Order: sequence, then C-alpha cells, then structure tokens
Amino acid sequence: MKKSVLVLAAIVITAVGLIGMGKEKLVVYTYSSFVSWGPAAALEEAFEARYDCDLEFVTAGGGKATLSRLLAEREAGGTDADLFMAEMNDVPRIATYDLFLPVTMEDVPNLAYVPQELSLDPSGRLVPYEYGYISLTYDSLVLSEEELPASLEGLADPRYKGMLVCQDPRTSSTGFSFLLWTIARFGEEEYLDFWRSLDPTLLTITQGWSEAWTLLTRGEAPLVVSFSTDTAYGAMYEDSLRYRAFAPAGQGYRTVYGVGIVRETDQPELAKGFIDLLLSKEIQELLPKTEIMFPANAQAILPPEYEEHAIVPSDALMLPIAMVGERMEEWLHDWARVITTQ
Amino acid sequence: MAPRLGAGDYDTVRKGRLVLLAVPLGFLALVFYYPLGLILKSGLIEGGRLTLSPLLDILSDRYFLHLIWFTIKQAALSTLLSIAIGLPGAYLLTRYEFPGKRTIRSLTVVPFVLPAIAVALGFILFFGNSGYLNRWLMELFDLSGPPLRLLYSLSGIVLAHAFYNAPIVTRMVNAAWEGLDSAVDEAATSLGAGRLRRFLGITLPLLAPALFSSAALVFIFTFLSFPIVLSLGGARYATIEVGIYTLIRTLLDYRLGSALILVEMALSLSFSYIYLRAEGRFAFLSRGEREAPTRAFFRGRLTLGKGLLLVYSLLAAVFFLGPIVSILADSLRVGGGWTLANYWELVSPRYNPFLGSSPLHTVTNSLLVGGISTLISLPVGTVVAWFAVRSRLPGRRMLEALLMAPLAVSSVAVGFAVLRGFSGPPLYLGGTLVAIALAHAVLTYPFVVRALRPVLEGLDTTLVEAARSLGASRVRAFFEVDLPLIARGMLVAAVFAFALSMGEMSATIMLMRPGLSTIPVAVYGLLSARQFGAASAMAVVLIAVTAFSFLVIDRLGEELQGGSK
Repeated sequence: MKKSVLVLAAIVITAVGLIGMGKEKLVVYTYSSFVSWGPAAALEEAFEARYDCDLEFVTAGGGKATLSRLLAEREAGGTDADLFMAEMNDVPRIATYDLFLPVTMEDVPNLAYVPQELSLDPSGRLVPYEYGYISLTYDSLVLSEEELPASLEGLADPRYKGMLVCQDPRTSSTGFSFLLWTIARFGEEEYLDFWRSLDPTLLTITQGWSEAWTLLTRGEAPLVVSFSTDTAYGAMYEDSLRYRAFAPAGQGYRTVYGVGIVRETDQPELAKGFIDLLLSKEIQELLPKTEIMFPANAQAILPPEYEEHAIVPSDALMLPIAMVGERMEEWLHDWARVITTQ
Repeated sequence: MAPRLGAGDYDTVRKGRLVLLAVPLGFLALVFYYPLGLILKSGLIEGGRLTLSPLLDILSDRYFLHLIWFTIKQAALSTLLSIAIGLPGAYLLTRYEFPGKRTIRSLTVVPFVLPAIAVALGFILFFGNSGYLNRWLMELFDLSGPPLRLLYSLSGIVLAHAFYNAPIVTRMVNAAWEGLDSAVDEAATSLGAGRLRRFLGITLPLLAPALFSSAALVFIFTFLSFPIVLSLGGARYATIEVGIYTLIRTLLDYRLGSALILVEMALSLSFSYIYLRAEGRFAFLSRGEREAPTRAFFRGRLTLGKGLLLVYSLLAAVFFLGPIVSILADSLRVGGGWTLANYWELVSPRYNPFLGSSPLHTVTNSLLVGGISTLISLPVGTVVAWFAVRSRLPGRRMLEALLMAPLAVSSVAVGFAVLRGFSGPPLYLGGTLVAIALAHAVLTYPFVVRALRPVLEGLDTTLVEAARSLGASRVRAFFEVDLPLIARGMLVAAVFAFALSMGEMSATIMLMRPGLSTIPVAVYGLLSARQFGAASAMAVVLIAVTAFSFLVIDRLGEELQGGSK
C-alpha cells in the first residue's frame, strides 16, 4: 500500500517535471483534419522561422470534441491551449463561455483583407480564416447530370430510394450543417416534414463525414452530403472527376472557420502573431489545396482547379450563429425523435 | 500435527486482504470515481443541493425511453448471436486436435481488438450491398440486385457485435472447458448416458459460470457499444451512448448528460449484480485433475457431428475472415491494380502528419501503452477477482459491482472523466503516455476480473488450506498454490487487457498529444484525411501487430507452464 502511494507520487512528480520543461511554446487546439490534411506543417515552419518559439498543434478529433477537451481542462484548473480553431457551427454558444480575448485590426493587420460578411462572431473574438459550402456530391458513374435532383425537395422522390447518405448532426459538423440547411430552406415549421419525406431516400446516417465518403467510394450509395469543393479535390489529387459536387437549385450551406485567443494565454502577442500569419496571403493560398476550403483573405489567389471546378452556390444559406446557439438543442432533439421513431 | 487456524489468524488474514484490496480501490478512486464524480456533481447539484429533476426529465421523455429500450434489445440479440457462434467454436477447440489449432486459438481474440472504424470498413467492403459477398452471390445465381441487405439496419449491428464478441465466448468457455474434469463424464458414460444427455446434464452446468461470465461480458459490452451502432446501423438506431455523446459533447448539457450517465450506470450495474447473484448459484466445483482427452479431427470416419462442425468452421471462416481479408485486399489496391503503394506511402514522411507521429512511433506507442496498462490492470484485476470469490464480507456483491463500474460506464463518459481527472491536481498527467496507459488500465481491468473470476471460482480451496495447514504463509500459499493454478486464466486475462488497450480509441484521443498517437488513432486520422488506402494499410498493421503479440504471449505462457497442450 505505502509502496504504491510512493510509486504513484513519483509518477506524478516526474510527469509534472516533464511538463514544466522545454523552451517557450505556443499551443494551438484544433480539429484533426487541420493537422493531418491542413497547412499545419507549413504554418509551423513559417511561425518558428519568424519567432523563437515552438508551435504545437493538439487535437481531440473534431471541433466539438476539441472544444469539450478545452472546456474540461479549463474547469479542472487550467489548459495549455493558447489558441483554439474550429468551425463556427461547432461552437455556436462560444460567447457564453467567455473563452477568448478580443482581437482587433491593430493586433492583426491582415484582418484588413477579410471581408466583413465572414465575421460572424459579434464580439469579434473568433477571427474567420477560411470558409466553404456544404452541398451534395454524386457518383457520376451511377447518376448522370440530368438524373440529379433539381432541389432538396426533389431528393424525396422515390427514384432516389436508398441512394443518399448524410451524417448525424449530433456527432458530425457536416451533418449539423445539412440539418441547418434544411431549417434555413424549409423553416422551423416544416423542416421536420421534409426529413420525414426524406427517410426512404436515406440509406443510412453516418457518424462522421469520412464514413459517408467511404460509402460513396465503395459503391454503397451514389449521393452524399459533402463539400462544394469535392470536384476540385478530385481534379487536384485523384486525377479523376468521378465524384462531383452539385448545388441543388443553386443552394448550399455556408460554413466558416474561426480562430480565437484563449483568455488564459500567457503569450497574447505571440498568439496575435500566429493569427496574422494564418491570415497572410502566403498561408491563405495553401488553404484551398490543403483544407480544400476558400481562403478568408480576399487577396489570396485560388488554384486553377478551383476556377474550373469549385462550386460557389448562387444561393448560399446561413442561419445567424446566435440563433443556432439558442435553438440547436431543440432542433437536434426534435430531429432525433423524427429519425429514431420512424 | 497440523496447526489449526485460530481466531487471531483469521484477523490477520482479513486485515491482509483489506490492505490488498486498498490498492485497487485507491487506484479506482483516484483515476475513475473522483473525476466521474466531478462530472456527475456538475450535473446533479443545483444551487448547492442534490436534485433528481434531471433524472425525472430523462425518464419521462419518450425519446430517451426509446433509446433505453433499443439499447437493451440490440444487446440481448447480439449476446444470443455471439453465444450461438462462439459456443461451437469452444467445443471444437476443446475436444478436437487439428493442425494449426494453437495458432487459431491464439488468433481468436484478433477481431476483438480491431478499431470499430476498421471493422465498419471491413463489413461494408464484405457484407455491403455492393460488397464482395453480394457481388459473388449475384454472379453465382445470376441476380440483378444484392440478395443480402444486411447492413444499415439492426441486423448489421447484431452481426458486427457477434464478429467482435463471439471470440470472447469461444475463448472464455474454451479455457473453462479444458479445465473440466472428465471423470464425471466418463462415469456417466459407463452408466449409459447418451452424448446429448451428458452434455445437458453434466458439461453445460459445469460450464455455466464461464458461459454466464462471457455472456454477461458480451451483453454489457454491446449494451455500451457506440461506434459500431452508429457505423453499421446509422443514426436511426441510436443507443444510450449516442444520447450521452449528444448531451455531453455536442450540447455540453451536463445536467441531462449526467442524468443519462447515471441511468446507464444503474442499468449496467444492475445487470452485473443480477449476473453475480446468478453466477453464485450456478457455480460448481470442478477439480480438473483429469482433462478430457482430445481427438484428432481428421482421423477416423466422418460422423454427422464432425460434418456439422466442418460446415460451422467454413461459415465461421467466411464470417470472420471475410471482413479482415477485405481490408487486406483494400490495402493492396490502388486504382484497379495490386500494389504495395499504400504501405510505402505509410512510411513516407509525407504521411507523418496524418498519423500524428511516425509509423514506427505509432506502433511502439501502442505496444508501450498496451504493455504498461496490462501491467497495471492484471494485478489490480487479479486482486479484485480473488476478493470477489474468496471474501465473505457482507455486501461484497454490491462492492464487486461497484468495482466493476468502469465496465458499466460509457466510453464517452470515461474519456471525459479521465481527461477531467488528469488535467489538474492530484493527478496532473494531461497528454502523457502514462495518462493514456492509466486510462486504459481503468477500462481494461474489469475484463481481467471477468476472465479470472470463473477460474478462481473453480479452484479447489482444499489445496490452499492444505498448504496453509502445513505452515505456508498466506502470501506464500498464494504464490505457490493459487498462482500456478490460475496462470492460464491470467494469461487469457492479460491477452484481453492488452488487446483492448491496443484497440482503444475514444479515451486515447481525448488525452493524446502530438507524438503520442496510437495505431487506431492513426487509422482514424488517415480516414478523416481521405487516405482510405493508407487507412486500410494501417488497419492491417494493427491486425498484424496484435496477432503477432498474441502468438508471442501464448507461446511464452505455454513455455512458462512447461508446455501444456
């Protein structure tokens, strides 16, 4: 017994000691694809060349998971995070946590090139750095362009029976955006009726985007809720235009990604430097190729594949973030009832 | 004359046991109960007072009641199918000798460790509407549509659960079966009892503890299953875990989230409790002095029984190997051709960010975490199992059920609690390998208890008493009598614990830091980065590493035992 206490104490002391060591470090909490696919490596190199400081990216999976890790650490006595990045819809109640420091154009000069319409956080604390559109993607070997539904309502047609895969809005950002899309399109009164009529069309509702994409590419379903840049992705990386994005009736749902400085940071100046670098033309031009998203900095030049294949929906829908934060609980609850009890 | 145990001796024995018990209790309190309590506290205390209103909100809501009902239903069906598939396997492994038997037995646990994300992929590739199986059947019978629509429904969930859990049944029942004494069986034969009658009247009751143990394990495991339900059933088939995930991770609603965790805990703890009571009644002493002889499967004439077992083996091979071979095939294909490109890419530095670490590091991290957590969970679990079987404390069943709580709590909640517990004092370990290993130990040690309990239950206590009466100290008796007798059971337990740790993802991802990635986390990272071929390759690496570890552990164990069969 005594021995085990001693051993435990030794472990704790060693661990605390290990954490305390090392040179200055800026820690960024982000979603996993930013690290795996995104420009994290290039960003790290550029940042470390500019400042004498280690840059470290930490992720707990998706934006929501990373946020809940951050909040739990904060509640437990402190977090190492200096910055936090996520899709806005992942953190619609961000204002209620009083998590971030305000950022102004003086702090971050490159903010001047970001269009005002992308600044969704009314308090100016989450700074937008990229955006995109949720739309539908189809397998062009199974469906021809003429066979595609002309609108969201058209998806409920019996000829698409079992053909669509979407994501669970409770576990997936993409799925949540799709749910918001249906609410923006049909209104709070009627979106559940649409989901009821969509039920036969849905082959299944997956936990996340990658499971849905797996089903598309393994031939299980020819239609999937995904991003409007999918065709451009295929052109850039797979040398194939088999899986193509389309915006039914010119519609899509806009998603915006933001970065914020965690209130408890002891390096606010370095953190501001990070945001400025993230918004620089050099890094922003990497985003279309790595994040497969549109850069927030209007000066950034898009790759040629985007000019040719990326779809910008003529009618991009988006609900106000504050409204999403206020109503999401009820929407998810009602949606889950309709889906599970049918 | 042998000294008799006096009252004073019993006191020392009891004190010794309580001190020994303090180790797992302290470990659990610090690493599990304390952080979980913090979460429940934030949800169930309103204005400084304990409130039951969130619980009532849950229990009066049709949606949550539906989740609870469906969770129980799918777990019950999954358990039945797992037993149906697992039991003949245990019989085959116990009674017959055939080439490759040792290897097959070592490999039975492999399905159990595969990350859900890889199993889902294997199932989609093999059992999917456009999967290999349906395409073959369509070609064979000249059909226009897929004949087997198994996935995206309850049947998909139940099948995948059986894929995971039937091997547990096989492994645990086989371990118990091999320990059965054949003398009773032989006596019954000589009295003219038929084979079926002997099985129903003798073997089955004797196997009951192991069967119950494995069934309870499977039930609780499938009761708490999360990613498989979502991957192969989809959102329409949501379980309590999905409800907890939504409340805690998506809505950050700790009030209802804590209440739902409590409901889930109460249910799974009652299942454990009921089962512990039932097991007590079914327990038989079996002395295992004479093990039943095995027969060579491929010698002698082909009986009906052998024929059925052959058909079973064939179907089982298709069922278990189909998804795994599909992943292997997938990892070897790019475009239309066969290639090793996915594996080469895996070791190219370009992929390091997808893995969160280098491939070699990922593998060593997994092995390290698996090894450390097993070194913790094995002794802790052994002590708890030993306590559960030998203790006569009042309320010990309740205590045992509570000690098993990590098994009964959602992985979502455990991941969250562990993060909460390791992010501040007294255990500030956030983002270290030790934190991940400790979390894994909490999650895996109940499996050690489950695997060891029936073995200890069947242990002959007269041997220990004899040793004690000959003057051996309690500790010496444990090391020289108990331990060798339960060595094989401990080996099975260690394999389970190690396997679970290798496949664990939800707690790992909550605690990890760059450089601390494990293989399942890497598979997940590759999938979310659209690197599907490389993800399959990484999943194959996981299967290979675990399979190899099992073979090594098993062989080592056999050597330690002086080469048993």
